[in-house]
Amino acid sequence: MTETDKKIEITGNEKPKIGVYVCHCGVNIGGVVSVPDLVENAKTLPDVTVGREYKFFCSDVGQKMIKEDIEAGLVNRVVVAACSPRMHEPTFRIACQEAGLNQFLFEMANIREHSTWVHMKEPEGAYEVAKDHIRLAIAKARNLAPLAVQKVSVEPVSLVIGAGITGMNAAIDLTKAGYKVYLVDRSATIGGHMAQLDKTFPTMDCSSCILTPKMSEISRNKDIELLTYSEVTEVTGYVGNFEVTIKKKPHYIDQVKCNGCGICVDACPITVANEFDLGLSTRKAIYVPFPQAIPSQYTIDMDSCVECGICARETVCEPLAINYDDEPEYIQVKVGTIIVATGYDEYDPTELKQYGYGKYPNVITGLQMERLLSSFGPVVGKPVKPSDLEAPHSIAFLQCVGSRNFREGGNKYCSRVCCMYATKQARQYKEKHPEADIYIFYMDIRAFGKGYEEFYESAARDYGINYVRGRIAEVRENPLNHNIIIRSEDTLLQQPIEVEVELFVLSTGIEPRADSDSITNLLRIQKSADGFFLEAHPKLRPVDTLTEGIFIAGVSQGPKDIPDSVAQAKGAAASAIGLMAKGEVEIEPFFAVIHPDRCSGCGMCIQNCAYGAIEYVDDRRFGEIASVNVALCKGCGACSGNCRSSAIDIIGFSSEQLNSMITKRE
Amino acid sequence: MSEESKRKYGFFLGCVTPNRYPMIEASIRAVFDHVGVEIMELEGASCCPAPGVFRAFHIPTWLVIAARNITIAEEMGVDIITGCNGCYGTLRDAWVELEHEHELKKMVNEHLAKVGREFKGSIEPKHVVQVLYKDLGIEFLRGFVKHKFNDLKVAVHYGCHIVKPSDKRPWGGECEDPTFLDEIVEITGAKSIDYQDKFQCCGAGGAVRTAVKEISADFSREKLENMRNAGADIIIDCCPFCHLQMDLGQMEANTIYKDMVGEPYKIPVIYITQLLGLAFGIDPSLLGLMKNHDLKGVSPFIPLEPFLEKVKEQLT
Amino acid sequence: MTEQAIEEKKSESKEWEPKIIAFLCNWCSYAGADLAGVSRIQYPPNIRIVRVPCSGRINAYFIIKSLTDGWDGVLISGCHPGDCHYISGNLVARRRFAIIKELLEFFGIEPGRVNFMWASAAEGERFAVLVRKATEIVKKLGPNKKFEKKW
Repeated sequence: MTETDKKIEITGNEKPKIGVYVCHCGVNIGGVVSVPDLVENAKTLPDVTVGREYKFFCSDVGQKMIKEDIEAGLVNRVVVAACSPRMHEPTFRIACQEAGLNQFLFEMANIREHSTWVHMKEPEGAYEVAKDHIRLAIAKARNLAPLAVQKVSVEPVSLVIGAGITGMNAAIDLTKAGYKVYLVDRSATIGGHMAQLDKTFPTMDCSSCILTPKMSEISRNKDIELLTYSEVTEVTGYVGNFEVTIKKKPHYIDQVKCNGCGICVDACPITVANEFDLGLSTRKAIYVPFPQAIPSQYTIDMDSCVECGICARETVCEPLAINYDDEPEYIQVKVGTIIVATGYDEYDPTELKQYGYGKYPNVITGLQMERLLSSFGPVVGKPVKPSDLEAPHSIAFLQCVGSRNFREGGNKYCSRVCCMYATKQARQYKEKHPEADIYIFYMDIRAFGKGYEEFYESAARDYGINYVRGRIAEVRENPLNHNIIIRSEDTLLQQPIEVEVELFVLSTGIEPRADSDSITNLLRIQKSADGFFLEAHPKLRPVDTLTEGIFIAGVSQGPKDIPDSVAQAKGAAASAIGLMAKGEVEIEPFFAVIHPDRCSGCGMCIQNCAYGAIEYVDDRRFGEIASVNVALCKGCGACSGNCRSSAIDIIGFSSEQLNSMITKRE
Repeated sequence: MSEESKRKYGFFLGCVTPNRYPMIEASIRAVFDHVGVEIMELEGASCCPAPGVFRAFHIPTWLVIAARNITIAEEMGVDIITGCNGCYGTLRDAWVELEHEHELKKMVNEHLAKVGREFKGSIEPKHVVQVLYKDLGIEFLRGFVKHKFNDLKVAVHYGCHIVKPSDKRPWGGECEDPTFLDEIVEITGAKSIDYQDKFQCCGAGGAVRTAVKEISADFSREKLENMRNAGADIIIDCCPFCHLQMDLGQMEANTIYKDMVGEPYKIPVIYITQLLGLAFGIDPSLLGLMKNHDLKGVSPFIPLEPFLEKVKEQLT
Repeated sequence: MTEQAIEEKKSESKEWEPKIIAFLCNWCSYAGADLAGVSRIQYPPNIRIVRVPCSGRINAYFIIKSLTDGWDGVLISGCHPGDCHYISGNLVARRRFAIIKELLEFFGIEPGRVNFMWASAAEGERFAVLVRKATEIVKKLGPNKKFEKKW
């Protein structure tokens, strides 16, 4: 918002002089309805003093037209009929403010998204809708009053939910700008899925080599309060002033006493599947997620622990650090901005029965293959077949498993990383086993990023990996040796192809977290149709949400690779820094107001308010009536909907304004 | 109405059964009569029409004729029961499509009005196996088993149209790995064995048998080879066209691919209700299992004697 | 189309089209309607949209005034229960609407004139489908002659 020297004295009581500006929006509006006719029609309505049309009112030239009319005193209310106010309301409000007119004396009529774009084949109908939307906006404009923006301070602290590569990068950038960060992750370690990867495409950098320094940086950074094995349980408040409750889950081990000797792990009798290795190895009920975990803390997985007491014996745990009675700890913090970087789940291909995952031992997923290739994985980087633990002489990869699927079983979107990771895994294996036969069955190879096409070309040309363009039709197992027999069509050669391979890797796609609803409910942010978090605008605001002060980044916003995740982390951090650097943020002053003379003190509004913003007060003139605490009020109107006395109203969406829009009389 | 009260179905015969394998019809009637289900005649029913050939030539014609057949049962107020995968495929696909596509339904009813009929979608086309498995249920059928086999290895052949397209079938989306026919077979004590490419098409449908006999014979030859390798005593199917392909087709495979086959195949081909009927204690002659060997050029072509021997040994 | 051409066309066509006023909540349904627009999903031009902060803002008076002012139908759309931007505004609205529905019937207002629905910001297609449905229902009921106040 800008400060301006110009100021037109408007009290709200003078006769409205409404300027109506109808935009062509190129051909989006002008190509469907007659804009000149809309302008002429608007000029016939009472209180309309100026009516203009232009190709693009949001442009400098367009805005200048409006400003000139304001400065000349021709108008004291502005109605722009164009796109959705969610698009350009701020643009025009600023224009009015710059010309000296209070920005809240502006109203928009949506005649694009709500008219010409949805009634393209019925131009007469679109015209009627546009005409009415303009009339409604003019009706509301008559009843607008000048308002002052509310300024609230912004706490210079940020909350980052999720400590994978995205969350960690965002946290580091925030501290570089001088802000404190609470970095929360529900796992016992930071690093996320990237810690499970072996090498990263296209540079073949070792994932741990580039990740571990970041992880160390996080642990050393004094401005980051690292809360692993923790979850955010409640968020209240609004931009700049979020009250956050964080639950620190119990490790059942006193981390101060524990000296990290690890004897408890050897002594523990309970063995369970290791989720870090996706079930390819085991761990004990008392464990560290992986050797390079940060923080390097031991945890007891109480769901698997039987409380046998062996680890608690002095002979096992000399410092006596085991505590079965450990309780969760709740802390409350105040933050100004929140960044959500909660990552993804891998698609589970069990439901695709035709590929035999879960039925044939030598069928594994992409992430499982990654663990086999990992130098600290279950086979220390020498992939073997699950059936006999021998190195495979032939491997087949199937792309688009669980992705690009418009039938049952999987998701419609492309998971973006699978073409590249399969190529990478194939190359890695070929490097160690040059004689191995490797097939990649694909629909399309998407090698879109920097260096990706060259990486793929090299894989096919130099490494001799066979790329077969065909969906696998049938998968069977050779019962003698558990080899996988694959039948497909090579669509480029237009021939059926049958291969018998020793290992079959399903390049499974990326899915939103199964429990992402817990985040959306917590923060009141939305999900898009594919289940990932919804950005404010897909092109221009990819890391903002519709809620001010809350940002999303990384794969939680949609499938992407590491470079793009880091770019979004930086984008979200920059946006958060922008808010916090200013120190204050402006809020629309749309609050509830009470007409004390009408209030009967029934208390219905108090019951309806989700923010507790209304309370009883003793008014010396009217007795016990309701009173609104503007600091807490969000202007939703849940209170006013039930008021029998019309005593409570919402500024910005007042009864007078809404009634004037409903009435058909001019 | 009590559970015992008679269920009624309109029996859609199709073409292959009455013309080539009437014993299939006999066994269906015998079994359903035995379990107390009433089979009614669908007067005026025509060819379904065939889901492969007809549908490939002109879909609207196929839809209208299929709808007409369905209306015959609608007028009687009974569900259709058919013993043929092909007829099932046509009637059921048409029924589902017309349920959902209002434009198609309008078109169809415009044509049917010319013969004084109207498709309403008020009855459901069902397969014999669907009625056995879903309407009656395994437990109900088990109650009728009098004799059980103790050593009979069965290669179960599902065929195609009974499971696909999966969204138009009542098996809950399961079409990759169905087990319902195996379960019915195993009520009789026989063992359903696994064999390579169990769900491969028999090769008859889609005009393959009509247009390119050798290719269709290659399909059945491959299936027979896999069944023989797995040690099957008999083949069980639930479609007269598959039955024809595996029976008459077995002779053709033996001839056309003589060198590849080696020892000629002679695996008896049995329809599911024939097997069930035997387990229920119904006389084999009522199930169409006794062939008068003076008749030449008439089905069944592969002799059933080896199977009937086992029946005599194991079921008495 | 020019104004004149429309008037001519109007007098030609005898088919009456309902006019429905739609109160859409800013965070979900209005955004969903925007998404329908962005995706160019077409629906009949029978609704006129009024933006409100939350479906909870709508009280019975606005609905009744809409009918007495001659609108053939009223449509109120908010966030799905559980997803309200203002936490529980739509739940308050849902309870209110359950009672309002009965009240309207008691008044003699045909069921189907006033419709309540939920559509989220990501559901452009759903918004269009529900608008089409509501338009069809109101069209079948015919013009709102019963309660229109003649001035």
